[in-house]
Amino acid sequence: MSALTLKLKTDLAQRVDCSPLTPDKLAGKDITDIATMELVSGRVTLPVAELFDISGDDVNDIRFENSSAKLDHIGHAMSQGTITIQGDAGAYLGQFMTGGSINITGNTFIYTGCEMKGGQIKINGNAGDFVGAARSGYKNGMTGGTIIVTGNTGARTGDHMRRGMILIEGNAGEYCGSRMISGTIAVLGDVGKHLGYAMKRGTLLLTKMPQHGITANFNDCGSHTLAFLPLMFASFKKLDSQFAQIEGFSRVRRYAGDVGGIGMGEILVKI
Amino acid sequence: MIINGVSIDKTFAEAFPMKGTRIIITAQNLEWAMHSATAFTGFATSVIACGCEAAIERTLDPSETPDGRPGVACLIFAMGGKGLAKQVETRAGQCVLTSPTSALFSGIEGDDGNEIALGKNLRFFGDGYQISKMIDGKRYWRIPVMDGEFLTQENTGVVSSVGGGNFLILAESQPQALAACEAAVKAMKQLPNIIMPFPGGVVRSGSKVGSKYKALNASTNDAFCPTLKGQTKSELSPEVESVMEIVIDGLSKEDIDKAMRVGIQAACELGAENGIRRISAGNYGGKLGPFHFHLQEIMA
Repeated sequence: MSALTLKLKTDLAQRVDCSPLTPDKLAGKDITDIATMELVSGRVTLPVAELFDISGDDVNDIRFENSSAKLDHIGHAMSQGTITIQGDAGAYLGQFMTGGSINITGNTFIYTGCEMKGGQIKINGNAGDFVGAARSGYKNGMTGGTIIVTGNTGARTGDHMRRGMILIEGNAGEYCGSRMISGTIAVLGDVGKHLGYAMKRGTLLLTKMPQHGITANFNDCGSHTLAFLPLMFASFKKLDSQFAQIEGFSRVRRYAGDVGGIGMGEILVKI
Repeated sequence: MIINGVSIDKTFAEAFPMKGTRIIITAQNLEWAMHSATAFTGFATSVIACGCEAAIERTLDPSETPDGRPGVACLIFAMGGKGLAKQVETRAGQCVLTSPTSALFSGIEGDDGNEIALGKNLRFFGDGYQISKMIDGKRYWRIPVMDGEFLTQENTGVVSSVGGGNFLILAESQPQALAACEAAVKAMKQLPNIIMPFPGGVVRSGSKVGSKYKALNASTNDAFCPTLKGQTKSELSPEVESVMEIVIDGLSKEDIDKAMRVGIQAACELGAENGIRRISAGNYGGKLGPFHFHLQEIMA
């Protein structure tokens, strides 16, 4: 069996909802069935074959080639298998996913890993705003799984995040960890303003003091050696990420906040 | 069967099913891990009165522990899962949580994912300041304490185990019996998955099932008490003056088989010339449990 390959034929005029193209939803379908499936694009629906050149037959290994930032909802609610994307992806990549993995060579638009519950998303590029966040009006962002971003993330990374891990090798935008309920966001680069805004619980792990400093909503708890950090770094070793290569540390400066709320979140800065 | 002049009785040791788990205690150095592990496994020689049987299995190199610090592996067994959970929780709370620099981890996967709480309820000691962390699919609790943070895994696995494997060493004198026991315990301590829960791994007060007193369900094994040779239906020949027992709990029957073989072999190496006369076993006529360890088969 060879990977089911979907090569985008042309530049898109409208956004396309790719949520039907997951290993779960394509299970039992052959290439003819897939070619006739309808995808929502703007106000119309289009057959898959009109948008993509289709080849291969392994629906557990799906590849999007020549992908575009207008392909939304790739990997929607997938529970197993792999999706590889060559190019960019649109909004809501991996939304609601519970398992499997998504690997993308380009950038993603907003709400990557929105409300995901498990599995792994690896972005070999930059991610837009609201990585791992909850949809607007919803209270729980990602509740499990891992998102790795080799580049930068936009604003509101981990907004309302409840569990899981977001690992950012580059920089994180403003309001990183905003309204976070639990989970871990680790950043190797810099972070924008308003770090941990309205954060309830959870951990923001930084390898250096942010350029804009720590906001007044976080109280300095002093320097500490924390036993869980070596375990966490050990768990990074199996990842295909810079986080697997960095030398683990357990000595950190701990800041607790956002004291404007319950103040049980923490920012840990390597010292 | 005779090994090095030591007679191996044609009998079997009788053991019973238990529930067991392995926990790993780490600390800043091995000394402090041992302090905690010693306390955790204290007063745990027999389920008859202790509620569990526990002992240190072995020390762990930093490369073998979850947090890369020196550690100690302990095995703890009880008659059922609920009893085990209670013992693990109270001991962890009083002996590991309290011990400076300690951290507590599960050292075993449960049968069919069966688990009991390890630090799950200890977290409430954190009074709301405790922090949960999911790492590699396992939940840990970070509990703020006066020396920093106590890190504990939430649960530990429970496995069906075997308790009460045993053999008796019959010698011409007390020092000779003890020397043989020491040699046996030393050899058996090299093996994984087993513990000898009595002090130093040796018990001198082996028991039989039942008693003349209604309140007791176990009493002295008079058939093997040398001072009663003329008073009871003794199992002892005139030259035997001391009998000591080694009790073994293990994660499986095979682990106990292996341990008994290694232990009996070590005792027999001292041989008849050092006063070791017989190896026997606690056989209760099938009243105690379903696991039977036939000495001659084990040593064949």
